[in-house]
Amino acid sequence: MLFLISKRVLAACGTVIAVIMLSGTLIHLVPGDPVTAMMAQSVSATPEAMAEMRAKLGLDLPIWQQVLLYLGQVLQGDLGTTIRGNESVATLLLQRLPNTFALAVSGLGVALAIGIPLGFLAAVNRGRIADTAVMIVAVLGVSIPAFWLGLIMMQVFSLKLGWLPVAGSSWRNIILPALTLGLTYCALVARMTRSALIEVLNEDYIRTARAKGLREHEVLLVHALRPALISIVTVVGLVFAYLLGGQVIIENVFSWNGIGRLAIQAMLERDYPMIQGFIVVFAISVVIVSMLIDIVYGFLDPRMRHR
Amino acid sequence: MKKHHLRKNILALLAAVAVGTGLSISIAAAADLIVARAVDADSLDPDKTSTTQSLQMTNLIFDTMLTMDKNGSLHPGLASEWSVAEDGKTYTFTIRDGVKCHDGSVFDASGAKARIDRAIDPATVNPDRSLWGPITGTSVEGKVLKVSLSEPYSPFLSFLTGIQAGFVCPSAFAGADFKPIGTGPFKFVSWTRNDNLQLEANAEYQNFNPLIENPGKPHIDKLTFKVIPEAVARMAALRSGEADVVEPSLEETTDLKSDSNFKIYAAELSGQQVLAAFSWKIKPLDNPEIRKAIGMAMNRDAYANIAFEGLVNTSNCPVAPKLFATDDELCATWGAEYDPDGAKLIMENAGFTAENPLKIKIIAHKLSGWDQMHQIMQQDLAAINVQAEIETREVASHFDHMTNENERTDGAPFVWTMGMSGVDPDYLNLLWKRPGFVNMGLNEQVDAMLDEQRRLSGDARAAKIHEIEKYLIQNTYTVPLLSPGWNWLMASSAKVEGFKLGFMVSLLFNDVTLKQ
Amino acid sequence: MTSTIQTSVQRRHLPFSVALGLGLAIVIIMASLLSPYLMPFDPMRMAAGPRLTAPSMKYLFGTDEFGRDLFSRVLIGGRLSLGIGITAVVSGLLVGGLVGLFAAFSGRTIETVLLRLIDVLYSFPDTLIALALVAFLGPGIGNATLAIAISLVPFYARVTYGLAAAERAKPYIEAARLARIRSGRLVRVHVMPNITQSLIVMGTLGFSSAILSASGLSFLGLGVQPPSPEWGAILAAGRNYITKAPWILIFPGLAICLTVLSFNLIGDSLRDIVDPRRKGRS
Repeated sequence: MLFLISKRVLAACGTVIAVIMLSGTLIHLVPGDPVTAMMAQSVSATPEAMAEMRAKLGLDLPIWQQVLLYLGQVLQGDLGTTIRGNESVATLLLQRLPNTFALAVSGLGVALAIGIPLGFLAAVNRGRIADTAVMIVAVLGVSIPAFWLGLIMMQVFSLKLGWLPVAGSSWRNIILPALTLGLTYCALVARMTRSALIEVLNEDYIRTARAKGLREHEVLLVHALRPALISIVTVVGLVFAYLLGGQVIIENVFSWNGIGRLAIQAMLERDYPMIQGFIVVFAISVVIVSMLIDIVYGFLDPRMRHR
Repeated sequence: MKKHHLRKNILALLAAVAVGTGLSISIAAAADLIVARAVDADSLDPDKTSTTQSLQMTNLIFDTMLTMDKNGSLHPGLASEWSVAEDGKTYTFTIRDGVKCHDGSVFDASGAKARIDRAIDPATVNPDRSLWGPITGTSVEGKVLKVSLSEPYSPFLSFLTGIQAGFVCPSAFAGADFKPIGTGPFKFVSWTRNDNLQLEANAEYQNFNPLIENPGKPHIDKLTFKVIPEAVARMAALRSGEADVVEPSLEETTDLKSDSNFKIYAAELSGQQVLAAFSWKIKPLDNPEIRKAIGMAMNRDAYANIAFEGLVNTSNCPVAPKLFATDDELCATWGAEYDPDGAKLIMENAGFTAENPLKIKIIAHKLSGWDQMHQIMQQDLAAINVQAEIETREVASHFDHMTNENERTDGAPFVWTMGMSGVDPDYLNLLWKRPGFVNMGLNEQVDAMLDEQRRLSGDARAAKIHEIEKYLIQNTYTVPLLSPGWNWLMASSAKVEGFKLGFMVSLLFNDVTLKQ
Repeated sequence: MTSTIQTSVQRRHLPFSVALGLGLAIVIIMASLLSPYLMPFDPMRMAAGPRLTAPSMKYLFGTDEFGRDLFSRVLIGGRLSLGIGITAVVSGLLVGGLVGLFAAFSGRTIETVLLRLIDVLYSFPDTLIALALVAFLGPGIGNATLAIAISLVPFYARVTYGLAAAERAKPYIEAARLARIRSGRLVRVHVMPNITQSLIVMGTLGFSSAILSASGLSFLGLGVQPPSPEWGAILAAGRNYITKAPWILIFPGLAICLTVLSFNLIGDSLRDIVDPRRKGRS
């Protein structure tokens, strides 16, 4: 088990380093000279300031050295400064990370709360109309552009019904965006629950349980659902990553002050250090969460524990 | 046991909801105002930013040396008296007694000197540096600040009333990090970038701005600016009472106007002018005839009535209406009239036909109303055999991009649009004098005329400005389109009283009260 | 492989959703292909009707703020949206497929490194990759398509690798190896034909995510620019009319939903067989 954990941690570190290096090269995708593209309006872009920026990015060095330079800076916790405002990218991102996590966790909660029962319903009615209907509804969820759903929910719940606030970062503000995200991503959970449960239901011990005359709901809830839920844990990391990704747009629709807001703002303003910083922070979050989930899974699943 | 627990939790949750709603009621009862805007300030340091969105905020924290009334006459501000020497090269300002900065320090003549020295210091990299004029030195004698110029600069005093010239207290820039400390009606409390900015009333405030009635402390206690980028969400916030004052969406403004629950404010003194300009260094747009044809094809009435929902006016001068020397009727005689058929003829004579259209780009920034305007413009141009591709960016990056684009002498020709605002036609100098704003400067002849108008005053200056405008329009270096064009509209719920928009769409909250 | 797909479809008893998906997809594709003949108005012409008129018999989906006919715009917009999707999927599949095959047949070290890299990128949601790329490349239909194509590469590379690795383990490959047939030929003649069908299945799944990414980029103003009637762009441009003229928002939104739904329904029932993500992540 300890071996498994250390292996997982090592892999996570490798992943993070790879992402940092990749994001370091992104600046070269910008058409034209990166420094010219990065500097603010000409009136303030003095040749000295441009030269300083060039030196900071190491743009005169060969590309592999630039990447290592960037990696070195990031590993020391320096994600650079924003082009507009000249603020520390790391500080800005870390300030907003808790908001983003709060929304992601709430969204995940909604996705699980809707997805697991739906998947359960589909699995026990496998092949019947209920199964098809449930899965079509779930697929419909992932098929709706989240921003579109968000706008419509805002119209209904905030304006027409007046139940929930529109914008801001208090706890009541989290409900609408979390609901939007949960509805969008519950299909992933439902699908996984369904197939995990179906797999378990085919196992011998379930047949044994049934043969022993246990009641069906006992079989389903006690013997089948629990092991199925353990394997659902594995998709939670994946759903979480997708949720974080989808959240980038949703944070903007609902003015939720997370790193997604910051990222889109930076993308529209072409604040390149901020975009790079966002990618790095996002990657680290996803990697840590999926690592934790893998470790938790290791503890939950008896087969893994004895390895 | 478990169930009991659950019920307890639900009760706690309900209580929390009740507290939550109770809280929002008590917020409304206190004299607090919540304002929702689309874009946040990019800095609270007036020497580091030139966007309207930032200057609207700095103008609440910082006062100006002088103020201006509706008719353009100068009034005292931080300075109680001022004078100009005969040769127009020396200005003296008597700084008012007993002006206090938000941190309790005294604002005096030496503070004012330090502030001007900082604004013009090349190390500050002030985007509005050229608007401060050719200052060569500053000195202090008691309460009097003396500013020396290398040559006359007649727009200097009007510039000192503008929102770009907020007077920062010396303690603001004493340390390495800028602190927003001023003498203005509101004190800085906190700022979470792209989320909210909190200000509170300055209890010791003394007002001198003639546009404001309230002589002292603003009536409201707290002023919160929220950033809500989605117009849909901003409108919902206004309608649900979550915000008191918002930047409305153009699309819904006409509806709000006819609704007694809301009020609409349109800035009369915006000083804003929307322009189209050309890549005149690139063939075939180096030919004034072709540029003129493009100008003749632009259906400005449609831009105003459809793209801007009839909320702005067409305007004919390169400088905004109501500013010094602006004469819209005079400018109209110089510019080409809307005449798509005539324009098409010019293009066909130049060899551009439906089969062989002139291919150009329309380079623009994204903004409500503007996006729609460019789509109509694209169609206008198609009618005269000009096939235009629209390329848009965010406001700040648009100007970054234009800095490079305007230097080009070959490649794809383009038409681009921009907006400029000010309190004096001297902004022609900022724009068109080489290298010019985002490198849009023209030539020696224009440079000379622009320098000349700074040295003149009164009618002679007006005549010189007209000469420059005539040159710009007749050679079609620019096509004046509309005024105003951005941030000039605000909406509030009916309970808000006394809200005003000042020069350059500054936001004036001093007189605001909330009707219960 | 064909037989596996068929049996799995039968086993899963999902013919209705597949049929629904197929039916929808055919209608949408045909409508887009035939749009020039079906459009009642020029989709770009302003003032084709009065501004902001509600849906009626004359203007089926109503008109937008310029008086353009929305029905015509949504129809022709299908060509753009589907076009972006197809271009991105084909190029992403091509590049991803090559990378995946190369990884599977290139020897231990390269395989490990490449696979690790693919997995890293694969842990990112594709919409986010597209977003990040467009932020650097700049907006526009070309850059958006390129970014979406690249965003699909890790997915396709991973899928192809999985399929190829499974194929590699089969005895006939071992035999061919012993017969000293070179890797290139081996892949071309033996592996490719066996995995192509599965790859096409995965193509449909990438397609729906490409359409969603494109609409998201347009919504943020980073993708297709107005006045192009790409669905996301219509939606983005019309969103402020949500209370005044909601049809501008509803119809292109429905078009996106139905298209993505149809391809998801088709792909979904087939995905379990080929998607490595569901075969237990290590």
